[in-house]
Amino acid sequence: MPQRWPKPVLSQAPASPTGLLALASRLGQVGLRPRPAHHEWRGRPALRWLTGAAILVSLLALLPLTFTSWAAIQTGWGTAAALIFRHRVGELLVNTTLLIALAVPISTALAIALAWLTERSDLPGARLWAWLAVAPLAIPAFVHSYAWVSIIPGLHGLFAGVMISTLAYFPFLYLPIAAALHRLDPALEDSAAALGVSPFRVFIRVVVPQLRLAICGGALLIALHLLAEFGLYGLIRFDTFTTAIMDQFQSTFNGPAAYMLANVLVLCCLALLAIEAAARGDERYARIGPGAARMPRRAKLGRALPFCLLLMSAVTFLAVGVPLITLARWLIVGGAGIWRLDQIGAALGETVLLAGIGGILATLAATPMAWLSIRAPNRLQRLLEGTNYIVGAVPGVVTALGLVTIVISFAPFVYQTIVTIVAAYVVMFLPRALISMRASIAQAPVELEQAACSLGRSPMQALWAITVRLPPPGAAASFALVGLGITNELPATQMLVPNGVQTLAMAFWSFSSELDYAAAAPYALIMVLFSLPLTSLLYLYSKPSASR
Amino acid sequence: MKTIRCRSITTLLAVAALAAFLHCGGERAVAQSESILVYNAQHRSLTEAWAAGFSNETGIKVTIRNGSDSEMGNQIVQEGAASPADIFLTENSPAMALVDTAGLFAPLPADILSQVRESFRPADGRWVGVAARTTVFAYNKNKLSAAQLPKSLLDLADPAWKGRWGASPAGADFQAIVSALLAIKGEAETAAWLKAMKQNAVAFRGNVAAMKGVNSGEIEGAVIYQYYYFGDQARTGENSNNIALHYFRNRDPGAFVSVSGGGVLASTKHAAQAQALLKWITGKGGQDILRTGNSYEYAVGVGAESNPKLVPLAELDAPAVDPSKLNGKKVIELMMQAGLL
Amino acid sequence: MKALELQGIRRRYGAVTALDGVDLSVPADSCTAVVGPSGSGKTTLLRIIAGFDAADAGTVVLDGEILTDGAKAVPAHRREIGYVAQDGALFPHLSIADNIGFGLPRRDPGRDSRIAELIRMVDLDPAILGRRPDELSGGQQQRIALARALARRPRLMLLDEPFSALDTGLRAITRQAVARVLREARITTILVTHDQNEALSFADQVAVLNEGRLLQVGPPRELYLHPRTPMVAEFMGEAIVLSARLGAGFADCALGRVPVDDCEREGAARVVLRPEQVKFAEVDQQDPQQASTGYFAKVVEVDFGGAICSVRVRLLNATGEINADSPPLRLIAASIETPQLGAIVRITVVGKAHVFPLDERS
Repeated sequence: MPQRWPKPVLSQAPASPTGLLALASRLGQVGLRPRPAHHEWRGRPALRWLTGAAILVSLLALLPLTFTSWAAIQTGWGTAAALIFRHRVGELLVNTTLLIALAVPISTALAIALAWLTERSDLPGARLWAWLAVAPLAIPAFVHSYAWVSIIPGLHGLFAGVMISTLAYFPFLYLPIAAALHRLDPALEDSAAALGVSPFRVFIRVVVPQLRLAICGGALLIALHLLAEFGLYGLIRFDTFTTAIMDQFQSTFNGPAAYMLANVLVLCCLALLAIEAAARGDERYARIGPGAARMPRRAKLGRALPFCLLLMSAVTFLAVGVPLITLARWLIVGGAGIWRLDQIGAALGETVLLAGIGGILATLAATPMAWLSIRAPNRLQRLLEGTNYIVGAVPGVVTALGLVTIVISFAPFVYQTIVTIVAAYVVMFLPRALISMRASIAQAPVELEQAACSLGRSPMQALWAITVRLPPPGAAASFALVGLGITNELPATQMLVPNGVQTLAMAFWSFSSELDYAAAAPYALIMVLFSLPLTSLLYLYSKPSASR
Repeated sequence: MKTIRCRSITTLLAVAALAAFLHCGGERAVAQSESILVYNAQHRSLTEAWAAGFSNETGIKVTIRNGSDSEMGNQIVQEGAASPADIFLTENSPAMALVDTAGLFAPLPADILSQVRESFRPADGRWVGVAARTTVFAYNKNKLSAAQLPKSLLDLADPAWKGRWGASPAGADFQAIVSALLAIKGEAETAAWLKAMKQNAVAFRGNVAAMKGVNSGEIEGAVIYQYYYFGDQARTGENSNNIALHYFRNRDPGAFVSVSGGGVLASTKHAAQAQALLKWITGKGGQDILRTGNSYEYAVGVGAESNPKLVPLAELDAPAVDPSKLNGKKVIELMMQAGLL
Repeated sequence: MKALELQGIRRRYGAVTALDGVDLSVPADSCTAVVGPSGSGKTTLLRIIAGFDAADAGTVVLDGEILTDGAKAVPAHRREIGYVAQDGALFPHLSIADNIGFGLPRRDPGRDSRIAELIRMVDLDPAILGRRPDELSGGQQQRIALARALARRPRLMLLDEPFSALDTGLRAITRQAVARVLREARITTILVTHDQNEALSFADQVAVLNEGRLLQVGPPRELYLHPRTPMVAEFMGEAIVLSARLGAGFADCALGRVPVDDCEREGAARVVLRPEQVKFAEVDQQDPQQASTGYFAKVVEVDFGGAICSVRVRLLNATGEINADSPPLRLIAASIETPQLGAIVRITVVGKAHVFPLDERS
């Protein structure tokens, strides 16, 4: 037999989309292709149990939203119409639309530029810049706002809203775009260059279309966050649906007007989801063929280097420097007096508790659905999954509103207990957990489970022993994402938290809305420190394994 | 082995979660037996000072749930007889009227009623005032001279004031002021005034933000309560150094004195302790805190002196308004019609 | 007529030298295969020719035009060099037609007809033009990639291990199709591969690269019969490399006294034989006459391969034991002549052994 040289090592199938890339791509319901589930799962009882669990979770998640809609129907069409079709709602709609229409494209352009600079150019210190580009996520959005407002007191309105939203949220686009750029096959760009296309046009014609999934997912994520954001806009006097709902809540608790606004907000969410689905199309942009494990070539910046460094530094300074410097300044100005350790310690403890329990429960609740979507997808499962995503896309304030009324009316024994607020968190952050778990279950081949079955484990044992244990990055990413979300959550927390409990976010808000910036500073600092490891986890897990 | 480690970690986590759950539930159980729950819409620091003083004296633990006037008022109405609250404290009286109309307050004993001046409590004796505040027009000294100040709250509806004044319409404080306007001038005029406000006023989120807007010169004046100014002056003053207060007087709606209320819920299981707290707040202990503390709200107790820095209540020439008749719901309806909410 | 000249190409990546002074000349209208183990630098060479990477030193001249001169290089998109990547690298977001026509100006009126012509050129049904790349098989994708590269009538075609991603059966068919297309289109081609079969069947000229240096360049037959180093010999096919003592046109080696092709060399050297030059016949051990002449070996492994079988034998020393010093030899036999496992065979050598030149560097 003829002798051969050893074959070059080919990489495996495209690296697992973890973290936010998966979040981004999955929110649109058609993600990057995981391993196709062509294997028939033989554990029928396990399948029934899991399907039952998934249905249960979905139904519970649907409750608050259903209640909000039902409240609308109950009010009667006349009142509802009067409450919805009024000038104020029109104002809010204009504000919200303008906000999203401006902030999302600007964030996209910024994210693409930054991602290109850190992944595809020879910018010195690219890894540091990459981390700095993700760092704004460690600073809660309302802390961004607090920093800017304390520097420029008159800052308000649409411009402020767009600027601060962009600075606070662009990492949601940067992460998936950078990961996608990192994983792009350079052979595509080489082939395009050999076909006579200049480098810039190669970027537009070949690279950016590959980024479409990432952009769609990230843009949707940002848009949904903008809809749900309260603290950021509260401090800069920019009225959105969520701030208006909170105002209504403060004025009427759970009056019909609040529900009407909530319903309009839900319709906006659905519209966004539909737009994203249309923009994404159903084309498959995952790489074709196994591909070589070649690292993409980095473009030389040459004379553009100082300008690019300036851009990078400016964005980093505005998004990370300004909040941190302002925070430091307030801490110094406040001196020792603001460090009331008993209060701060209590708030920290409550926050850790809620984030921890919420993270674990959300991960557990997501597992049946995630498993089903990979191993045994069918119409019912897709319907359930879609429901979960929609429910999670709805702002927390709507969920909390529905939950409050449900609990008061039907389950007063859990009223104002940790059960209600954790339930709200699970509903709100289920999509994040779902995506992370789904991505990592996709990485665990079904053959391992089947091998475990053939070695005598029951299907459920096989599931536990192999699939749940194997992808720790998925479970860890899920926990991290949910925990991060809970730490920074404000409106739903305020509505549902048990008596005497104050989270870091609540304490921060109560001080900063009184403009007691110095007293709010320690809480902001702790939230940032708390978010740092979680953000680092996100950064690490979003880098494909091929790069390590 | 990895399996054992994973299993033990999971068990640990499950136990921790269970422990936390039990702890919280247990805490609630403990709380229910020994302490009282206050639904507090007053400023946190003030209520915490009251609670601390009361607990020190009596040893009864007080748990506070914070919110805003109407939010908690409506919440109590929603909760009905199942409400876990023992006491409801507000910043303004419309929310008290709301709960009272729903019949959820218990009648208060005479010893509490007798501690509070008559004008600061309703006739039905189901709640009392615990503090008071007056409406002021906080203006920027550098931008407005005395001659340019509005003579009446109603002047602010004039187109000449477009973009020059502000308030916090979503807040319970301003809604209380509007409810006084409603009681004094009637629905039609109030509706018109609110429509003009929508055109003229800059909406802030919170009175402090409005005050800061005046201080920075963004607007020339704001309709807020007096204690924000004094409180800030007592601290660093950076939000109020450019500000002077204008009292409307002349029984103008803009001179409205709002009553902060306190009442014991009829559904309470700790009636004695709740009444004790209310008695303490309206008695020497609580009212002294108003005089000496940094809340800068007015005292309402019989014989209680307010903080010497404040303009005495007697000199304010406030309009006569029955605190129990203020209609918060109607105000919100009108504000929504005007597009403010 | 176009021709490619490479002179003194050097490339380093940090401490690693990828290419260490490579000179190569590719005649026009011919196909050159650049072969070598992974890490030999062949892909780097290809990328420098294509313009995707820059060289540290050396020149690339195509058809008289200097494309690369040291660090100065014409950018890839201006070189008019076609490139087919290892797995085709079709653009997944475009249809087949748009893929093929990617390099063609969009407003060109003859674009559609050119695309149709190209897809027929690679022997595929024009009906697939509307499909997406992921709906095609690997072999079809490779052909589309070729059609795409041919669209602009390049002066030079570069193929980077184009068939390695395909299954074995598909590989041969696709290779033949691609070779035919390129030959008919008369395009100078450079193929990079690690597969010996591809190099032999595809190329007019084979260049063996190892550790950044060209070991030998020449027609396949020349490299097969007269390899310059044992590595080249082993790449071109099964080789039996032996140490020997040369003298008077003969070599004394483990297989006895063998004629060599270098009559002047004396002294110690290494020689190479091809398996087809080593004949063996089964020996009846009882028969003393048969046991007296030639060299004997014992069959230790037999690999049935259909028409051609592989037989491993170990030489026996004088006492009939397996000679531990000499390595096993891999020989070939036709299916009907395959000996039994454990049989003793007599070895005879036909033809001349080739002596590796003195300046061998393996």
